[in-house]
Amino acid sequence: MYKNKKKGIAGIIITIIIIILLVVFTNSNINQVSYIQDICNIFVMPIQNGFTYLKNKISGNNSFFADMDTLKAENEELKKKNSELEQSLRELEIIKAENETLKEYVNLKDKYADYNTIPADVINRDISNYSSTIIINVGSDDGIKEEMTVIADSGLVGHVISVTNNTAKVQTIVDTASAVTSTISTTDDTIVVQGTLEDKSTLRATFIPTDAVVLQGDSVETSGIGGIYPKGIHIGTITEVVNTSNITDRYAIVQTAVDFNKLNTVLVITNSVEQ
Amino acid sequence: MKKVLSIVLIILSFLIIYFIQSNLFSWFTIANVKPNLFVIFILCIGLFAGKKLGLIFGVIFGFFLDVVIGRQIGISGIMLGIIGLFGEYLDKNFSKESRITIMLMIATSTGAYEIGCYIFNIIVLGVNVEILAFIKILLIEIIYNLLITIVIYPLIQRLGHALEEIFKTKNILTRYF
Repeated sequence: MYKNKKKGIAGIIITIIIIILLVVFTNSNINQVSYIQDICNIFVMPIQNGFTYLKNKISGNNSFFADMDTLKAENEELKKKNSELEQSLRELEIIKAENETLKEYVNLKDKYADYNTIPADVINRDISNYSSTIIINVGSDDGIKEEMTVIADSGLVGHVISVTNNTAKVQTIVDTASAVTSTISTTDDTIVVQGTLEDKSTLRATFIPTDAVVLQGDSVETSGIGGIYPKGIHIGTITEVVNTSNITDRYAIVQTAVDFNKLNTVLVITNSVEQ
Repeated sequence: MKKVLSIVLIILSFLIIYFIQSNLFSWFTIANVKPNLFVIFILCIGLFAGKKLGLIFGVIFGFFLDVVIGRQIGISGIMLGIIGLFGEYLDKNFSKESRITIMLMIATSTGAYEIGCYIFNIIVLGVNVEILAFIKILLIEIIYNLLITIVIYPLIQRLGHALEEIFKTKNILTRYF
């Protein structure tokens, strides 16, 4: 099959390494510097420690010649204590994680106490780069219907577009086909926020009234117009206002309150349709 | 019997690819762009097993994807079906024995598939036209698909020839002329 099999395998390995490097570097942010620092430290620190040790020894640090037996016994004792502490730490971490999940549910419930809600987990995300739908683990058996509003702890997620017995498909607000009529909370001006291809965490606010004063940091929430989303659910904050030569074409960038990359728990509002 | 078995295997491998795409590649992305394994898969079926199977599996799998996760039923079905048909056309005109031609075929079909889907979305769903952002994502997706093709090329060749022997026994020798 190959003229040179070894060359072929080497090519594959190099490509895999390139893919991994691309994935790592394109997905990491400024923290990558500290990551590189860690790697560099592995090479530098042992030698640095050696030098420090030598320096201490020369400058008359005689603790090195302490009684070896006492040190050994102490070391054993410390190791034992350490393992005990590690064990309890692990237990605490499990409790902490459990506590956080429960808190998340309670917070969500309290925040939207006026609505009847059903909690759900995100079980599948979109496979395409050009759309943004999610699948949640509740369906018509749990009372979910189409066009019900889906929210998360920090704000609006989207609405249900189709339902099976045990799952529901949700079109998120960052989907390119989604448009939500909303209001700027400080001025009560009505705008439309739409998903963009450019960024999965920002929305584009269009149809801004010509006389409206739009400022960075203004909060955007649903207006209740359109019949799907109830009024007053937080969507995000305006991060940038782009002025064009024609004032009717100006638009604003809205940073969504919900982090869609880390979205795991959502609530489905069940009484919004009747409202 | 062999044909039935290979069809079952194709369906199983589709499911495996689906889980890889929706779990692994939902976070293993290049600049937040996922590859599209389904185009590679359906193109290979069209290339090695012929246009009938390419079209049928393209439509069925595309329809499945639309039902499970898509916004509008039909778009992926039609486009993947076309890619399956396109496979046989490519097979008749180009050699499958070279890594470069397979890569070019996959780049072309990924581009054709995504552009087709995007146009459909603009017409049917009224999606905003964002040409620059679309081209940027598409180029990264094509590069990602190419890198994956380089890695799985030996697998494509081996399984492809096995499929070809089962479904295209009459013209098995044509590739040597």
